[in-house]
Amino acid sequence: MIKTSQLIKRVSTAESELEILRGIDLEIKRGETAAIVGASGSGKSTLLGLLAGLDAPSSGEITLDGVNIVNLDEDERATLRSEKVGFVFQNFQLLPALTALENVMLPLELAGIDSAREKSEGFLSRVGLAERFHHYPRTLSGGEQQRVAIARAFASQPLILFADEPTGNLDTTTGATVVELLFGLNKEEGTTLVLVTHDNILADRCQRKYIMTAGHLEEAS
Amino acid sequence: MTSPVIASIRLLIRDWRGGELGVLFSALLLAVSVVVAISGFVNRLQFNLERESASFLAADLVVSSSKPIPAPWMDEASASGLAQGETITFSSMVISADDEMFLASVKAVGGAYPLRGALSVDKGLSQASTDIPEPGTVFLAPRLVQQLSASVGDEVYVGDATLTVAGTLLSEPDSTTGFFGYGPRLVMNTANLDETGVVQPGSRVTYRLLVAGETDDLTTYREWVEPQLVQGQRLSSVDESQPGIGATLDRARGFLLLAGSLGVMLAAAAILVAARRFGERHTDQVAVMKSLGATRATIRQLYAFSLAWLGLISIGLGSGIGWLAQSAMFNALAGQLPSEITRIGIAPYITGAVTAFVCIGFFAWPPLARLGGVSPLRVIRREETIADATRSTDLVLGTASLGLLMLWYSSDWKLTGALIGSIAITVGLGFLVAQTLLTGSRQVGSSAGSVWRLALAGMQRRGTSSAFQVVIFGIAIMLLLVLTSVRTSLLDQWRLQIPEGTPNHFILNVAPTDESSLLTFFAERDIEVGELYPAARGRVMAVNGQPLPDWDRFEEGARQREANFTSTDTAPEGNKIVSGAWWEVGTELSLVSLEDGFADDIGAKVGDMLTLRIAADEFSVEVASIREVNWESMQPNFFVIFPDKLLEQFPNTLFTSFYLEPGEKYRLGELLDVMPTLTIIELDVAIQEIKTIIDQVSQAIELVLLIVLVAGALVLIAGVSASVDERLHESAILRALGAGRGTLSGAVAIEFATMGSLAGILAILGSETAGWVLQTQMLDLEYQIQWVLWPMGIALGAVIIGTLGTYACRRVVSVPPLQVLREL
Repeated sequence: MIKTSQLIKRVSTAESELEILRGIDLEIKRGETAAIVGASGSGKSTLLGLLAGLDAPSSGEITLDGVNIVNLDEDERATLRSEKVGFVFQNFQLLPALTALENVMLPLELAGIDSAREKSEGFLSRVGLAERFHHYPRTLSGGEQQRVAIARAFASQPLILFADEPTGNLDTTTGATVVELLFGLNKEEGTTLVLVTHDNILADRCQRKYIMTAGHLEEAS
Repeated sequence: MTSPVIASIRLLIRDWRGGELGVLFSALLLAVSVVVAISGFVNRLQFNLERESASFLAADLVVSSSKPIPAPWMDEASASGLAQGETITFSSMVISADDEMFLASVKAVGGAYPLRGALSVDKGLSQASTDIPEPGTVFLAPRLVQQLSASVGDEVYVGDATLTVAGTLLSEPDSTTGFFGYGPRLVMNTANLDETGVVQPGSRVTYRLLVAGETDDLTTYREWVEPQLVQGQRLSSVDESQPGIGATLDRARGFLLLAGSLGVMLAAAAILVAARRFGERHTDQVAVMKSLGATRATIRQLYAFSLAWLGLISIGLGSGIGWLAQSAMFNALAGQLPSEITRIGIAPYITGAVTAFVCIGFFAWPPLARLGGVSPLRVIRREETIADATRSTDLVLGTASLGLLMLWYSSDWKLTGALIGSIAITVGLGFLVAQTLLTGSRQVGSSAGSVWRLALAGMQRRGTSSAFQVVIFGIAIMLLLVLTSVRTSLLDQWRLQIPEGTPNHFILNVAPTDESSLLTFFAERDIEVGELYPAARGRVMAVNGQPLPDWDRFEEGARQREANFTSTDTAPEGNKIVSGAWWEVGTELSLVSLEDGFADDIGAKVGDMLTLRIAADEFSVEVASIREVNWESMQPNFFVIFPDKLLEQFPNTLFTSFYLEPGEKYRLGELLDVMPTLTIIELDVAIQEIKTIIDQVSQAIELVLLIVLVAGALVLIAGVSASVDERLHESAILRALGAGRGTLSGAVAIEFATMGSLAGILAILGSETAGWVLQTQMLDLEYQIQWVLWPMGIALGAVIIGTLGTYACRRVVSVPPLQVLREL
């Protein structure tokens, strides 16, 4: 499902060129759950951004559902994302001007799906927010906002779901609820799940666990 | 993908609900409303003023000729759909049934005369009329009624015709055209002209064809007639025949155009600020949308359609508001303006719509177009920003488009150039000064107290965006200063043009022997009389020995000119010597000073020898100087002036001017009883009308200034609101760290006041430049550096921007920090 070979990412800073990813080889199969853990600044989020096609690598290959996304331009990658990829972010990334329901509908509308509303209502109900359709993000708690984000991620029924520190901004109890939802829905929908986290308990729930250290990735035994 | 049209409507509704659109929409609405209101108002006002001033001619256009008007000219006027009338004026003795005689200025009128304005006639027994006299009847001016002791129903004789007095002529619209008919007026019907037998080949008669109609038809007609004019024939509109009114109207038009253009610029500035803020606020939204699969094209399409909708709504709503505003302004002047109802027409709406689309295309679109380039990676890394590289291109394109828009709007490249130039100066200097001072202020700030340190550090941290704000504030204040100072100069100049007590009557043909009795007459009645000038009718025959062709030969170029010659040893007030020098008092040299237009007509320059003739005497003089004369002044002006000693040798009469209160017109009759040979020219009605027009345009200008001031205030508010988000976030952090509300609001106030005073400095530099160009090049006014504006501009900038900023940022210090941090 996801495969990388010799993935390298360099960025230029004022002083010198910095190599953030130093030849990553990785393979995650369809329906698997994988966690990438590591210290701050180790390159986890950069890798996630590349795997999700949000950014282009300096060199190396990334294959997503059989498509080598390195050769795609930004717009082609966007189309691929709309068809195959979902996201859950640490800071939720809900649009403040949109209600909970509209936030969930947004990717469906962008993909031109007709039954956007019904589908979104369904997913919001599944994350326990049937009473919160017309609430704006600012009136929701952190946990509720992340549940809206999860509903949004699953609503477009992606093949792969990327989650960047999904519990990073939540307290332990709320975090646990969100994690249950994430894994529960993942199982029901058969999605491939790739998450980046500091949280070892969360990482241990995944079938595979990778450790990122200074741009190098190793699979934990 | 859902249709972009529907998606964009959805985006618009959601943004509106979320409060994101407020500022941008208000700015667009403001642009359209201001443009529609001002151009609608200007159109209506101009139409009304032109109609009113056209009454000075009793027509929109007049062809005058010393020979009868060719019949094809009248046919062409009819064919062009123009209304027409005619007048034929000449001097003739009028004799009453009791054999009283008086030299009158006779005007035979026919056709649809008067085409503009109206006659006012008292027919006795409280009957008033505005119709022209029926064939066989005449109207007499009050002075003629008095001189002839005639009353309504009496018979009078003009040449061989016997005509019945049908009324007293109180006023006629074209009373001031043709000063040569010196006597009091008699108006008759052209039907009786032949009967009089007065008009013979060689008699001194002026024929006028009057036409009126739509501007386009008039232009066509003018273009058709003009090439056919020969010597002795003239085509004139009110601008040409009444330089005083023409110049007043021109300046008023210029000012209103300027005001309208400033309205557009201010609106564009507001849109620029608002769109930048809108774009910044949407950056995160676009990053999320892109991470969810929206392509660059989708994003651009979405925002392009949203803007188009926003434009359409603004045009619709703004046109409505503009219409209401112009009609409110017009009603406010209702008592002052002629009652004729005019519609605003389609043009202001088109101007409003074009303005909206230019503003959207060149000011609102660029920051939104850049949203397409937002990296989706921003959802993970907030520091990912959009490339700024295109900003300077935006600025150049924006300024160019604004220039073209203004050029289209004002059709005046000087005005456009002056404004664009001064804006370029403000922007260029602005970024330079702002950046330098902002850096400097940080150094000052680091040694200052905590509130100041906070304020100056904040300003410096926001470097470019602070500079941008300073420049926007500077532009807004500059444009308002320009408008205010031009308005002040204009009103002052108008007040000076016809001050209270301007002489409204002229007396000609005073015999030198009558001088003392004339002065006694006025002294006894406590009427102030002007200086007495000698006058002799003379003719220029040759220049440097080359005889000039006489007037009646149809030749181009220099020709003989007849004029009233006068003498004085001191250069007349208000005249400007453009070449040569004035002579010494008491000189016995044979010198002459010429008016510049007159000198052109005869083809003379300083140092040339002129051969002149007064009565039968020919003599030679050298041209000592050439003068520019202010024909708008309503003061006695002269084409040809000699030294006193020279004119003394020739027979001459005297002439003077005086001011008569409206209730004292009967004094004229008394004067003529004492000295019946005097000729009196009455200018009181004309002067009064010019004053009325000046009053009207002055009020209109004040109203328009008010609207533009409101537009300027909105730009300042938009500019101030632009940085509120960032400040909210910072202040939340600072408050969380323990900064007091007093410290924070103090810092905000100091920051805005500092930016305000910087903006004040820029504004003054820009406005002095623009003011100089506009006043000297466009409005033809004297320019003076307004030193008083300097400290005022800086202080006002600090106070206004400081207050507005503190007010707009009140949430910054009042909202609980936790709420802010959660919202962001």
